Amino acid sequence: MSPKEKTKIIKDVTQLVLSRRTKMCNFLEYKDTKVIYRRYASLFFITGIDPNDNELLTLEIIHRYVEVLDRYFGNVCELDLIFNFHRAYFILDELLIAGEMQESSKKTVLRVITQQDAMEEEEAKEEAKK
Amino acid sequence: MAMRGLTVFIADIRNCRVRELEEKRINKEMANIRTKFKDGSLSGYDKKKYVCKLLYMYILGWDIDFGHMEAVNLISSTKYSEKQIGYLGITLLMHENSDLVRLVVNSIRKDLDDNNEIHNCLALHAIANIGGREMAESLASDVHRLLVSPNSKSFVKKKAALTMLRLFRKHPDVIPAPDWAERITNIIDDYDLGVCLSVTSLITALAQQYPEAFMLAIPKAIMRLHKVIVERDFSADYVYYKIPIPWLQVKLLRLLQYFPPTEDPNMSEMLHNVLQTIINNSQETPRNVQHNNAQNAILFEAINLAIHLDCESDIVRQATNILARFILSKETNVRYLGLETMAHLAAVTDELDEIKKHEETIILSLRDKDISVRRRGLDLLYSMCDVSNAKTIVSELIRYLHIADYALREEMVLKIAIMTEKYATEHSWYVDVILQLISSAGDHVGEEVWYRVVQIVTNHESLQEYSAKMVLHYMRSPHCHENMLKVGGYILGEYGHLIANLPGASPIEQFNTLHARFGLCSLATRALLLSTYIKFINLFPEIKGAILAVFNQYRHVLDAELQQRACEYMAIATMPTDDLLQTVCEEMPQFPERESALLSRLNERTGQTEDKRTWNIGGKDSNEKTPANLLAATKERNENGSVDDLVNSVSNTSISAAGGENGTVAPANGSTAPPTPAAPAAKVGLTWKDQLAPGHENWYNRLRDGTDGILYEDSILQIGIKSEYHGHLGRLAIYFGNKTHTQLNSFAVSVESPEGLIVANSHTLATSIGPSTQIQQLYSLECQQIVTEVPLIRISYQAGSTQSIYLKLPVLMSRFIEPIQLSSADFFGRWKQIGGAPREVQEIIKVQGKIELERARSILVNHRLGICENVDPKPGNFVATGVFNTSLSGKVGCLLRLEPNHETNMYRLTIRTTSDVVSKHLKEILHTALLYRPAPSTR
Repeated sequence: MSPKEKTKIIKDVTQLVLSRRTKMCNFLEYKDTKVIYRRYASLFFITGIDPNDNELLTLEIIHRYVEVLDRYFGNVCELDLIFNFHRAYFILDELLIAGEMQESSKKTVLRVITQQDAMEEEEAKEEAKK
Repeated sequence: MAMRGLTVFIADIRNCRVRELEEKRINKEMANIRTKFKDGSLSGYDKKKYVCKLLYMYILGWDIDFGHMEAVNLISSTKYSEKQIGYLGITLLMHENSDLVRLVVNSIRKDLDDNNEIHNCLALHAIANIGGREMAESLASDVHRLLVSPNSKSFVKKKAALTMLRLFRKHPDVIPAPDWAERITNIIDDYDLGVCLSVTSLITALAQQYPEAFMLAIPKAIMRLHKVIVERDFSADYVYYKIPIPWLQVKLLRLLQYFPPTEDPNMSEMLHNVLQTIINNSQETPRNVQHNNAQNAILFEAINLAIHLDCESDIVRQATNILARFILSKETNVRYLGLETMAHLAAVTDELDEIKKHEETIILSLRDKDISVRRRGLDLLYSMCDVSNAKTIVSELIRYLHIADYALREEMVLKIAIMTEKYATEHSWYVDVILQLISSAGDHVGEEVWYRVVQIVTNHESLQEYSAKMVLHYMRSPHCHENMLKVGGYILGEYGHLIANLPGASPIEQFNTLHARFGLCSLATRALLLSTYIKFINLFPEIKGAILAVFNQYRHVLDAELQQRACEYMAIATMPTDDLLQTVCEEMPQFPERESALLSRLNERTGQTEDKRTWNIGGKDSNEKTPANLLAATKERNENGSVDDLVNSVSNTSISAAGGENGTVAPANGSTAPPTPAAPAAKVGLTWKDQLAPGHENWYNRLRDGTDGILYEDSILQIGIKSEYHGHLGRLAIYFGNKTHTQLNSFAVSVESPEGLIVANSHTLATSIGPSTQIQQLYSLECQQIVTEVPLIRISYQAGSTQSIYLKLPVLMSRFIEPIQLSSADFFGRWKQIGGAPREVQEIIKVQGKIELERARSILVNHRLGICENVDPKPGNFVATGVFNTSLSGKVGCLLRLEPNHETNMYRLTIRTTSDVVSKHLKEILHTALLYRPAPSTR
């Protein structure tokens, strides 16, 4: 997919989602995909799935991701995600691969992430010693 | 630990209030990073920091055209934090066809082979996120190794499974899925629920392509569901708002929808329990949103599976009641999904009555505030439409069309046109609806809709006069759409003469109606109307003058097409005789029958998606080519071809029920070709017979003449059997003993029985055998017909790699004989009745060593023949009788004489039975038994 197409999709879908009212359902159609979104305060989490995939569970994947972020950052907010965008990616990688749920246990995901952080810290300490 | 430089940079960007400032800051940073990179003497930390900055700019939408190489370098760093950023960099900046992929393949392979699992994981993430052909070809086997290796940790296996899934979706040809099927399927049994979840996702994709190779997944999926849902056996970590691992439950329920329903009665009962438990659990609505969502997600998937298994089952009836409640729910999500699932049910069932009860609610959903819900309502109405409710639904839809969203209208028009055509019982209704459609939603009526009207009117004489009348009427309304003019032009040109005697429809009035709008039309329509006019000249010579004036005028227009038509028509019309005119304007022949362009248009709209749909929107006939149905079709060819042929159903005015009509299907229509059976390519060449375990003959031969004993033994497993028979029935117990001190996992047994012999397992086998433990599996046997083959059994288990053992089961034909005793007179009476060949067979058998009468006697007894004493005048000769029983092909009487000759060590065996097949096969069995000499040492 070219960057141009990507930008177009992001723009289209953002518009579609923002124009929906709160009471409406969390699903809508965009071309051949279903868009599932969930709003947390001013943050929207948006996913695209196959028409055949399970909508409600996709909604809960979003929620699980938010829960993990929340636990990791401690009351997560937009700024956490902006300044630590790479960590948001790392956490997502532990949750989803190839668009499929990889690990649904919050505890397991957090354990892996803290392990990564510990390694990073270790390396930073060694660096400082030099 | 945090990169200060990065934080400062992000804060700077956020402080830029206008885009120009941001651009300035970005350009400055890019220039800075470029110089730093050129310098070449950067520390790992700095490289990491700058790559991060580039990534942040990339996320904001700026073009990044350098820095890829630095990211690639970071991958091979020894420091984890640097490696991690390197990988993040390449996954964000590279796409699958990037030339740089080649550069990273080797580093990735190195990390896949690394002993450090965390490096394996990073490499797997990268493959899953980039995943081009190059990666697939060079790394798929490494990924597979990580997935199936017994040494892999759970968290690596999970990632490997999904990485493979991604590679398979992109490049299915690179993954030899059938070869890997068994080991992959076995992982469903993994104790780690996360691993099970990932591998189920993988199998769901693979099984759609290779259903046969993944058949084993059916029992495994059912057992796993049973374990989680009914036995409630799961780790507490995986409970999500009181629901155990909903993602896995849904995946497994979905996986089963890609297979035909299981034939194993135990399995279907287990599955029934699972579904019933889910339905029962859903009676209450939890307060917590997450809990409720997860519960409903499972419920909807379970209903979909139940519908797939049997859409008239009790479970589905219960589910329909729940759905009826859901479509009235206050929660929009639930309404949406209720309608969607109901559409699924309506699309496959014959029994629409339950759904029709809710017609009003569903029609109301077309007025829902949310377009997503309105769409589902439309789909459901389309799916539940049949002859009885077509008029109501179509008229509701037409009424709604005026206020429907623009985005919906075109699809609605298509669907209305299809429904009308499919379920019309009166011709006039069809014409009315379509013309109304064209007049009220003209802009949304695609070309194919009016083409179709023309086809149908042309092919149905009874429609022609009526349509001509109606079309003329519509064209006189003030807002006549151009599409109406096209239909009108065509129909009047062909059939205008049929109404020429009616008031207000005289030739000149017809012409004037058309020509009044001529000037306002597009060129294409004008061209079409010119053709109508030349036809008019042929039909109504009296208005020739008026028409010639039009042609004359158009001989000078700029448009080449119009000009050419006008000139040619002018020439034809002014020829001295009308011969050519009459030939050219002869009535149109009927259109050949073909698939409705409307349906192909609609199907095009549904488009290609990654997972195959398990059902399609629409009536029953649109659902005959779903994956599971294709597979089932190999077993049971449904004679009832698809009723796509709409022209037929319209022509036949007395359609009684939707979908299922046999009579109206045109023979040898291209669209009714039987679905091609899923090719058995999944089997990798060898049959079970070719793979029998070495040395199995020794054990088997010993068991031929007995009912109990050892069937197989090696250093790991010992297999024994016990059996008993009565008439055409039998019971067989197989014992599996694990001789090792470790547990045998992924243990599975399957049986391949010859036609006519039913081998059913009467309870479900455990999937593992504990150390030094024996388990037992019971089978019931039923002999339905004369069987000359024995069943085969396949045992597989996991010990490092998957081990498979193939064996023959000593269930010989003679097991189903019941011994009887006959008197001398009876015996010879029947002996004569049966007579000679082919029902008599005779053989001289020379044995090694001496003849042993006791052995011969026990062979006959073991093969369940009754020895009749004092029948043969010569002592030492055997006379034996029995009745061979089958449940479907009746009984076969068996008589035999066995005459030993001690001098020559030969037997003469004569068999007479009422079936030549039985005679021949019984002779072979006894022949082999008499010759058999057990190997000297038997342990």
